[in-house]
Amino acid sequence: MDSLLGSNPTLASNPAYSFSKAPYNSAADNKEHAFYPYTDNGGSTLGITGEDFCIIAGDTRSTSGYSINTRYSPKVFRIGGDDETGEGAHIILSVVGFAADGTALKERLNAIVKMYKYQHGKKISVKACAQRLATILYGKRFFPYYVTAILGGLDEDGKGALYSYDPVGSYEREQCRAAGAAASLIMPFLDNQVNYKNQYLPGTGEGHDLEPRQALPLPRHDVEQLVRDAFTSATERHIEVGDGLQMLVMTKNGIEELYHPLKRD
Amino acid sequence: MFIARSEYDRGINTFSPEGRLFQVEYSLEAIKLGSTAIGIATTHGVLLGVEKRVTSTLLETSSVEKIVEIDRHIGCAMSGLQADARSMIEHARVESQHHSFHYNERLGVESCTQAVCDLALKFGEGADGEESVMSRPFGVALLIAGIDEEGPQLYHAEPSGTFYRYDAKAIGSGSEGAQAELQNEFHKSLTLEEAETLVLKTLKQVMEEKLDSKNVQLASVTKEKGFRIYSDEEMSVVVERLPTN
Repeated sequence: MDSLLGSNPTLASNPAYSFSKAPYNSAADNKEHAFYPYTDNGGSTLGITGEDFCIIAGDTRSTSGYSINTRYSPKVFRIGGDDETGEGAHIILSVVGFAADGTALKERLNAIVKMYKYQHGKKISVKACAQRLATILYGKRFFPYYVTAILGGLDEDGKGALYSYDPVGSYEREQCRAAGAAASLIMPFLDNQVNYKNQYLPGTGEGHDLEPRQALPLPRHDVEQLVRDAFTSATERHIEVGDGLQMLVMTKNGIEELYHPLKRD
Repeated sequence: MFIARSEYDRGINTFSPEGRLFQVEYSLEAIKLGSTAIGIATTHGVLLGVEKRVTSTLLETSSVEKIVEIDRHIGCAMSGLQADARSMIEHARVESQHHSFHYNERLGVESCTQAVCDLALKFGEGADGEESVMSRPFGVALLIAGIDEEGPQLYHAEPSGTFYRYDAKAIGSGSEGAQAELQNEFHKSLTLEEAETLVLKTLKQVMEEKLDSKNVQLASVTKEKGFRIYSDEEMSVVVERLPTN
């Protein structure tokens, strides 16, 4: 353990810090003071699109090290709603990482989307909102929002749209994406089950001649089941994931919210 | 009348007892001294036309620039103090680039016009006595033509900061006669080619000089080609087509 954490006595004795920086005593009598602006609040998020819908989900646990701050702290939000409840929203945003930055980012994007409607007299498109989120994140390139964001909605043709981000605004439109603490557990599962990676059609040949199974947009019911499976499994294998699963489903009829309990251990 | 005015027409931000801002009203007069500019919105695109006042035979006519590009989908014709238009157009161009940088989409034509008009009343000193950008109102009016998801649109922006959308609009010294002509001739099913003829025909009526391919300029905004100023060859073709009388 010592070799892994160096000679930092606080880290070695106190596992509550997910980040590698912690209060540090250089010499016995000289106390060093420092400001650590970030914490990791754990949890995971996940987004999948279909032909005419988009689902973004996240667990509702918030952690600090081995402690649970709360069992219900949503990571998925409605953007562009008419009021505090998010009624009338047409875009969904999920943020995972440092919860305070996530909240700040959500509030800011929401305000910008509202202003866009006032200034241009129309609702912002998901494409435009995606670009705007990227510039917001990059605008804090040297003091980033410590979050992995996923933005979803329906594009101009009514098809499901999903955009995933890194903390400084690099982004891409995708079919599916997992983010947060259990991203490395969930993402390979999605690659296989949504994009059919490493799946081949039996009897089409030997070795490299095997034909890959073509990925098609999944129906909503299947996607919801995949999301639930992904999170129940992640809850089993990751200590920072659990308590509850919140799903926002965007269709042409608006946004629906679903909640499923997860294991609380 | 003029005696009553003298008290109130100096202070730029001071209302007269009748509730008027004289300097703003005077700026509207400056436009009436400018060369005539005409815009027509058709379902196929928007057409802009201006007269160039060639004051000397030694003047290089290509240096008279009264139609300019704001972005690939928005163009603008001006009448009045040319120099004032520069800062308005610069502002519109910055705003348009700003929008595509932030939103990865083109700025709407109405939003562009609004952005220009937001600049119009930033003269005089502010409420807290802070220095302002401009010492007087703009002396120029703009015809802003463009295409967005709402289709082809034409806006008229005044120094007072108000703007209206038009099917067809004339500004400048010959605007009264030209507007009357447009009123008679405009109809919703005008083609772009018919609009070219109508613009030139109208300009011809109100211009002091004899119209030729050198002292008028046309530009169009279409879905296919965006904003485009007509080349000398294209201008000659359109002028040739005009009925001679």
